[in-house]
Formats: sequence, C-alpha cells, structure tokens
Amino acid sequence: MIKSTVIWKLLALLTIFSLSLTACGGGQTATEAPASQKVTASGFVCPEPQNKVEVTSKELNLFVWTEYIPQDMIECFELVYGITINREEYSTNEEMYAKLSAGSTTYDLVQPTDYIVKLMIEQNLLQKVDKARFPAYANYDPNYLGLPFDPSNEYTVPYQAGTDAIVYNADKVQNPPKSWADLWNPEYAGRMVFLDDSRAIIGLTLKILGYNPNTKDEAQLKEAQAKLAELVPNIKLFDSDSPKTALLAGDVDLGMTWTGEAFLAQQDNPAIQYVFPTEGAVLWQDNWAIPAKAPHLDAVYAWLNYTNQGDIFWMMLRDFPYTNPNKAALDYAKDAQPDLYKAYMDSPITNVPAEAVKNGFRIEDVGEATPIYDQIWTELKGGQ
Amino acid sequence: MFQRIRENKPLQGFLLSSLSNLFMVVLLIIPLILTLVISFGRRAPNGTVIYTFSLDNYIRLAGFDPTCEVPGLFGCFNDLYINILFRSIGLAIATTTFVILMAYPLSYFIARAPIKRRNTFLFLVLVPMWTNFVIRVYAWMMLLRTQGVINGFLGWLLGLFGLNFVPLEMLYTPGAVLVGMVYEYLPFMILPIYTSLEKIDNSLYEAAADLGANTLRTFFRVTLPLSMPGVVAGTILVFIPVMGAFVVSDILGGKQFVLVGNLIQRQFLDARDPTFGSAASLVLMVMTLVVTYFYTRKFGFGEEIVVA
Repeated sequence: MIKSTVIWKLLALLTIFSLSLTACGGGQTATEAPASQKVTASGFVCPEPQNKVEVTSKELNLFVWTEYIPQDMIECFELVYGITINREEYSTNEEMYAKLSAGSTTYDLVQPTDYIVKLMIEQNLLQKVDKARFPAYANYDPNYLGLPFDPSNEYTVPYQAGTDAIVYNADKVQNPPKSWADLWNPEYAGRMVFLDDSRAIIGLTLKILGYNPNTKDEAQLKEAQAKLAELVPNIKLFDSDSPKTALLAGDVDLGMTWTGEAFLAQQDNPAIQYVFPTEGAVLWQDNWAIPAKAPHLDAVYAWLNYTNQGDIFWMMLRDFPYTNPNKAALDYAKDAQPDLYKAYMDSPITNVPAEAVKNGFRIEDVGEATPIYDQIWTELKGGQ
Repeated sequence: MFQRIRENKPLQGFLLSSLSNLFMVVLLIIPLILTLVISFGRRAPNGTVIYTFSLDNYIRLAGFDPTCEVPGLFGCFNDLYINILFRSIGLAIATTTFVILMAYPLSYFIARAPIKRRNTFLFLVLVPMWTNFVIRVYAWMMLLRTQGVINGFLGWLLGLFGLNFVPLEMLYTPGAVLVGMVYEYLPFMILPIYTSLEKIDNSLYEAAADLGANTLRTFFRVTLPLSMPGVVAGTILVFIPVMGAFVVSDILGGKQFVLVGNLIQRQFLDARDPTFGSAASLVLMVMTLVVTYFYTRKFGFGEEIVVA
C-alpha cells in the first residue's frame, strides 16, 4: 500500500518537474568532434578559414533569431576553431532588446533588425565593429552597407536581408489579395497567419491609411489601432518562429510572412505564392552586432570572418534563402551550386525586383512614441 | 555557547530553519518588494524603469486612462484587462472542473484496485511526466491540426461509410487551450483524491451496506464527504497554477488567446514595460490569494495538504 507521504513526495516532485520545464528555451550546446576530421554530421566537408584568427576563447555565445543559422555553419566553426557555440534564440527584436537592456552580459553576438539597431546604439548596448580585424568585410555587396540605421556600419554588419509581404495558397484562396488592404476582406476570417511583429503590422496599417509607417502622431496611431482591430478576427495565429508550418499544414491559407519562409514553403508546395502588396512591402535587414560587454571578442571575429567566406555563406541559399548580401557567397554558388544559384536568382522572393524595393518601406526607430506602439500591440492581441 | 544552544529551543529552531529562511528572503521577499516598487514606476521610451510613485499602471489595469481627455468617469473606459482577468478565471474554473470530473473516477478506480496493482497504476499516471512539458504540448499540436491525427482518423472513419468529412478546426482555439490545460494538470488532482479515497476504512462501506444504504447513497453519504479534503487540495494545486500559466495558451492558442500570464510575460519582453507587468503580477497574486482564502475558509485547506 502506498502511504500518503509517498504520494506527497511524488506530488512535490511533479511540481518541481513542471515548474522547471515551464522555464523553457535555454541554450543548446553542440557536441565537439575531433578537430582533424572537419566533416559535419550531415557529411559536409568544412573549408579551411581564409583569414585564420588567433583564438584563446573556448566558447561563443550567440543570441539569434529562431531557425536562422545553418547547422553545418555552426558545426564547421566548432570543428575548425575548437570553440563550443552556445545558441539562444528569440523571435522578436523587442524580446532580444529587453533581455540585453536588462543587463545580460553573456552574449557575444546578436542579430538586430533595422529600427532596433539605432535604439541599441543610443543605449550603449553595442560596441564598434573593428574592420581591421574583419577582412571578410570586403565580401559584402555595397548595396547592403550604409543603411540609414547605421550609415557607416560602425556598429553592425549585414547578415541577411528580406521583405515582409503577402503569402497565400493558390489552391485554397479564390480571390488572391493584391494589397495589404485586401487582407481585411471578411472572406479570410480565421484563415491567416501573421508574423508576431508589432512594428511591421502597425506600419503596414499606417501605410494603408496613407500615413508615414513610422509616425509619431498619436491620433494617426489611434486610427491605425481601430483599423487593426478589424483585422484581428481574420488572424488565426501570430507566429514568428515558423509561420510556414501552419501554412503547409493547412491550418491557415494566407497571411503575411517574410522572404525565407515563403521561399521554403513554395519549395514544399508550389501553390504557395508570395505577393508584393501595392502599398509596398516591408524591407528589412538583419545584422550582426557585438554587445558592449561581449566576453569572447576573439571568437566573435573568428566567427564573422569564417562564416562570411563565400564557401561557407553560400549555404544560406540552401538552408535559409533570404536576400543574400554576401557577394562572395553568390559568386561561389554560381559555379559550385548552379541549381541553388539559379533558383535564388530566378525567384522574385529572394532576388527582389527593383520596383518592389523602390515601392517598399523600412521600419525606423520612433523614439518617444515607442510606448504608444507597444501599448497598441498589447491591446490588440489581448482583445479577442 | 553550545550549552546555550542546547537549552534554547527557539534558537535551535531559528538556526535549523535559517537556510530556508535565507532562501525565502533572497528569492521571494526581496523580489516581491522589487516588484511592488517597480509597479509604481513609469517606463521610459527605451523600456527602462523610472522610479517614482505613480498609480498609473493600476489605473490602466482597471481600464481607465490616466491621460484621458474625454469628460466623465467612463470617458475612456477600456475593459480589455478586466476581460483578460475574467477569461483567466473562467479558464481556471473550467480546467479545475474538468480535471475533477476526470480525476475522481480514475482515483476511485485506483483506490479500489487490489493493493498490488495500485503502485503500477500510480506509476502509469506519472509516466507522461518524464517527457518535457513543452514537447507534450507540441504533441497536442500534431493531434489537433486541421490535417492532424484526429481529423485524419475521423475522415478515414466517415470515409468508410462513404460520408464527406469537413475537418474540424481545433488548433488555435480556446478549446485547444482548455484541452492542453486539463491534460497538463490532471495528475495534480489524481494524487490527492487518491490519497483521501485510499484512507477510507472498508468497514465504513460495510456499515453503510448493513444499514441498508444503496450504492448511490453510500457514495454521497460516505465516500464523497470523506474524500472532499483530497478534492479541495487538488483544486488548490490546479487552480492557482492555471491562473498564471502562459505556455499552453501561447502554443495551442496561437498567441491569440491571451491570459493574465501571457499579458504579464509580454510586458517584460515584447512590450518592454516592466512597470505594467509588475502591477499586473501583483494584482494577479492578490486576487489568487483572496480566492484561495475564501475557498479554504469555506472548505478547509484539505487535510491532504496538512498531511504533507
């Protein structure tokens, strides 16, 4: 017979279990393999570093977007340099910013997008990138350098670029949307997935209303909030981790997503279409930035130099096909991976047409108006 | 000196508990005071806390707008946060009710099983807990998807009879969140109810039968009253965590079904407003305390908790 005290021990154990498990997330640590082999688990043979950096650190702590760094890239770096990579992931810029500004000092590299870069620089959260220690900087296409949030690339260097635009499943949607405004159509009620991205969604709504997508005007923002409240019933879920999953699984039929997710979804299901809305797509660029108190600077430069080699960074075309700012990688892929290169160049999703770029808009830091944006977002998502 | 300690019982008690006291002060009391202080602060545009004494966060939670320019008390009244609170309470009550309805018969079955089998059954109740909680919730996603396991099975079944099947929309609905919560907290109800049922002396049932009570009467006059302490203890163990939960509603609700837990979590990350998040946590804590206080006043703490 089980005594009641035993039950209580079990129950206590159960409580501890469930509490500890709720605190999910956390770092993933990859295992180390003998340095002589230099072949990843998937069989990829790692190229040698072109600019070998002297490294004493044994670790590199990445704080990056979910599903955004190829496994081979991580494994190769670990094999070549004998460094263990600890990876923690986030799915909104705001989340990353909140953790960093709360005083986290363990991260070596983060991946902020446009508008949050300026805020992080102002808050002294970042340190300057030392170009003298980063020869692979020459591999970048100048079109992706000198953007307004960091005009001389003092604090950031590009990772990947892309767009937020409309995605739909042509098999399921009879009247395909052509503009952001079309997404308000009641026909789409409960059928849409949206990125969990407050600034982009409020921005595109302001654009529909004919306002500046980065407005600081409270009256315009209130109007956008009222307009957005009408959109919420159409949205089935917000997902910035893997929006393509719900689309491919048939839980939703259309919505708003970003470049790489649309490209990969289309490979799985050719009926998935990506449309640049008439009001303009959201243009963005994710960047590498080094937190001010990064503990493993030597490993940071080793990582930046190694991963930006053409013979490494080409794998973005294979694993996370966004718009690629690395000239050397595209040149390498042209000869070594002609199929991937052709798919990349031929697709308007990755190789964005000039008029879509011209028509698009960027999200900028709004300074004092930030709390209004945050409050609108809280109220919209709570209002079901 | 040791002589003094040996003679001084209260001092002994203090020394023995000093480690846990320190633990409570550092990890509970101080954070609580910090939360209280922050909740009276204001957020700066960049998301840092400006320490001041302002009730704005509480006013906003209650649905009023401190900057409101429309005349009248309810000029800018916004019931958003009150609705979120009621939604959480409603879900917690629904979860607890379903959990009791499912746990009671199972506990009864285990308690009346042959003694040798009881250990096995209790063990089986705990086996799913060996898998990470988040993974178990993701498993529910696979089951509930529009093209998921359940819809696939139903479609196949109806297909056998030549019927057309329209897949049910289950994932990303409030129902999905409820299912996830019930699943997650079921063991927390089974164990206390089992304990109280198992303690009931068999002779009481015999006496009831001797005195002519039928099965139904025996259940309502003997079994149920004697097992109430277990139900009460289980209710406390289920209701309170559900009130603050946010993972299940995020994953199975598609970030669309917002509970107080989600609201609070978002304030610290996405919305970068720790002051409002702190205020919301304190309100949640006080509310849970009040509910638990009245509940235990009426039903007692449940002997089962005291046994521990």
